[in-house]
Amino acid sequence: MDQIPIMKIGDCLLVSIQVDMHDQLAISLQDNLTTRIVQTRARGVMIDISALEIVDSFIGRMLNNIASMSRVLDAVTVVVGMQPAVAITLVELGLTLPGVRTALDVDRGLALIRRLIDDEAGS
Amino acid sequence: MRTRLLAIAIERETDLVLARQRTRHIAALAGFDTQDQTRITTAVSEIGRNVLEYAKAGRIEYWLDTTEAKLEILVEDKGPGIADLDAILSGSYRSPTGMGIGILGARRLMEDFSIRSRAGEGTHIRMTKPLSRKRGGWSTGDIAKMSAALVVPETMDPLQEIRRQNQEMVIQLEELGRRQEELEQLNQELHETNRGVVALYAELDERAEHLRRADELKLRFLSNMSHEFRTPLNSILALSRLLLGKTDGDLTAEQAKQVQFIRKSAETLTELVNDLLDLAKFEAGKTVVNVGEFTVDSLFGVLRGMLRPLLVSDHVALVFDDAAEVPPLSSDEGKVSQILRNFISNALKYTEKGEVRVSAETDVDADTVTFHVRDTGIGIEPKDIEFIWQEFHQIPHGLQSRVKGTGLGLPLSRKLALLLKGNVAVTSLPGEGSCFSLAIPRLYAAEISDREGPAWHLEAGKAPVLIVDDNAADAFSIERWLAGSRYQALAARSIAEAQRAMIKFQPVAVLLDVMLSGQECWNFLIELRQNEATQGLPIIVLSTTQEERKARSLGADEYFDKPADPRRLLAALDQLTGRRTIRRVLIVDDEEVSRYLQKQLLPRGAFAIEEAATGVAGLERVAEACPDVILLDLNLPDMTGIDFIEALPATPDRRPAIVLVTSADVTQDQRGRLSGVSDILRKSDITSTSLLAAIERALDNESVSP
Repeated sequence: MDQIPIMKIGDCLLVSIQVDMHDQLAISLQDNLTTRIVQTRARGVMIDISALEIVDSFIGRMLNNIASMSRVLDAVTVVVGMQPAVAITLVELGLTLPGVRTALDVDRGLALIRRLIDDEAGS
Repeated sequence: MRTRLLAIAIERETDLVLARQRTRHIAALAGFDTQDQTRITTAVSEIGRNVLEYAKAGRIEYWLDTTEAKLEILVEDKGPGIADLDAILSGSYRSPTGMGIGILGARRLMEDFSIRSRAGEGTHIRMTKPLSRKRGGWSTGDIAKMSAALVVPETMDPLQEIRRQNQEMVIQLEELGRRQEELEQLNQELHETNRGVVALYAELDERAEHLRRADELKLRFLSNMSHEFRTPLNSILALSRLLLGKTDGDLTAEQAKQVQFIRKSAETLTELVNDLLDLAKFEAGKTVVNVGEFTVDSLFGVLRGMLRPLLVSDHVALVFDDAAEVPPLSSDEGKVSQILRNFISNALKYTEKGEVRVSAETDVDADTVTFHVRDTGIGIEPKDIEFIWQEFHQIPHGLQSRVKGTGLGLPLSRKLALLLKGNVAVTSLPGEGSCFSLAIPRLYAAEISDREGPAWHLEAGKAPVLIVDDNAADAFSIERWLAGSRYQALAARSIAEAQRAMIKFQPVAVLLDVMLSGQECWNFLIELRQNEATQGLPIIVLSTTQEERKARSLGADEYFDKPADPRRLLAALDQLTGRRTIRRVLIVDDEEVSRYLQKQLLPRGAFAIEEAATGVAGLERVAEACPDVILLDLNLPDMTGIDFIEALPATPDRRPAIVLVTSADVTQDQRGRLSGVSDILRKSDITSTSLLAAIERALDNESVSP
């Protein structure tokens, strides 16, 4: 069974979704990621969806769930690389992702994570 | 034009991924921009997931509508249907699983979205998106290209290829399944219809049976009641006659008038009861046609005398035209007279002034006689004409209050006319009069031409069975069935033949085909039953028209629908002619009168009777087939009875029992030589009982000492 690889970069975990996930794959990603957060004591999670051509309500919700869970596990989540067509479709679909922070690309994503972690430490 | 581009089955999650890929591919091929491709694919993904989630399986079809220039996507499943569809579409629904955005979202993403869902029938969704304007529109070539592109996927991944082929197979299987389901459903429907028809038939049968019963009940009621009525009515008539006759002293003028009224009323009632009885008799099929020869002239004479008392007014004349030229008829005079009486009395009732004219004419070609009764009475309205033949119907008119009637006369007349193979008719003009006509064949039952009849040959030792059947083939097949049995078939093609056969032979049973000529046949059955000699004769009725009830009620012992099962027929014959085998009785007597007498004394059908006029002939018969009992005359011309007995075969089991019938006393000397004789009867005091008892004893002796 295919798996979405999860890479560790410092205290961040990087997930790059390169294939069209079927639902089970999405769910297993969710599980793996939470496990890895706990294992690696990561503070940030970056999910790259630049290869995804569609994000439907299920994937959207999955992203939202991951954000909420990592929040509980003391990690911040940033979704990067969303294609414009996907973004428009998500809005049209009526799906809001309240807990998900987004950034345009990986660089900005990393910067955002850093800032968020620092903010937390500061407050 | 609508073309189906592709169909995909959704059965597992990976199918959903494939569906997304395919959708995107199709959207791209159809010329949608990236944004729309994403929209369409997302919508399909949403709906597809719903299908998977709630219905477990379903299918997606992609259609290209070039007329309206749009891409159409149909998603359907056979799931439980969506219960809260209205709530979902209005946006007020919150899914417990956190979902519930699928349908609404998809609707937002597509241009046109319709959904049909009913509990138990699954859900059908139709989504469309208009195609981008394309120069020159969509040609069939474009579509063919698209289809081809879809069939040969761009990625030649073998795994994907297998999956694709799998997909196609799944869809085809599904379609096959659906077709089979449809067939099964059709079958089921047919089956149900069939059952319905059968039930309907049963119901019809029941109804028919019910009607028959009601009819029978009515008949029985009619005939019973009519009989019951008659007795007290006769008493009233007799008593009123007594009173009017002043046997017990004078009545006052007033009393006499009152009694006169009583008498009148009773007479009217009697008339009604008589009509009812006639009708009941007719409907029970008990009316027998008594054919005889008569002339119209004499009939008119009788009618004139009979009906004169009905002429109460001087203003009406009853005229009989001269009928001397009408050739004599062969029909039932009583019935013709009854019909004409009805017509005439009717005419007299409704005619206040003028005349009632009775005439007769013949039609030489058709050989019919038509009687007319013309009056100058009130006439009948055209709308009423059809009712006058109905029982108890009387047309309301001022005269009705004055003239009394039963309303049975005309219906009965018509029935009688039909019985005579004729018919009645009426023409009428209101205010000018009516003309009632009766047309009957001059010769009732145009006499069967083949007076000779077939040459029946009776085989020795066989019991004759009369077969009455006008169908030669049927009669022949019955003859064949009986050929191997101990019965011999005597086929009669007509009732007349049958009657001759009845006289000539004494059949042990009759097989009667009632199709022969309808009523005539029933009459024959009734006749057989009424005739004392044939009362107990077993009669089996065969018919193609399911008339068991009628047959049995008229006295048939057994009934079979044609074609009858030969074995059952034989079994019925065996049973009806007595469970035991029919005993063969040989009468050896030189006096024909004596033989005839003995034969007549034995009950019909009880024995197979053979005759021999001489001792030699008798011995020959015995040699041919040993009879069970011999009725032997002591004095034969060629040998004495004693010689005859001694000449019988010596083997005990071939030796018939003998009853000696003598006219003289038997001497002691002779008695010594009468071995095997069980009884001696004197011709002078022989009776049916004594003869039967003697034969019985003879048979008993035989069975105890074999």
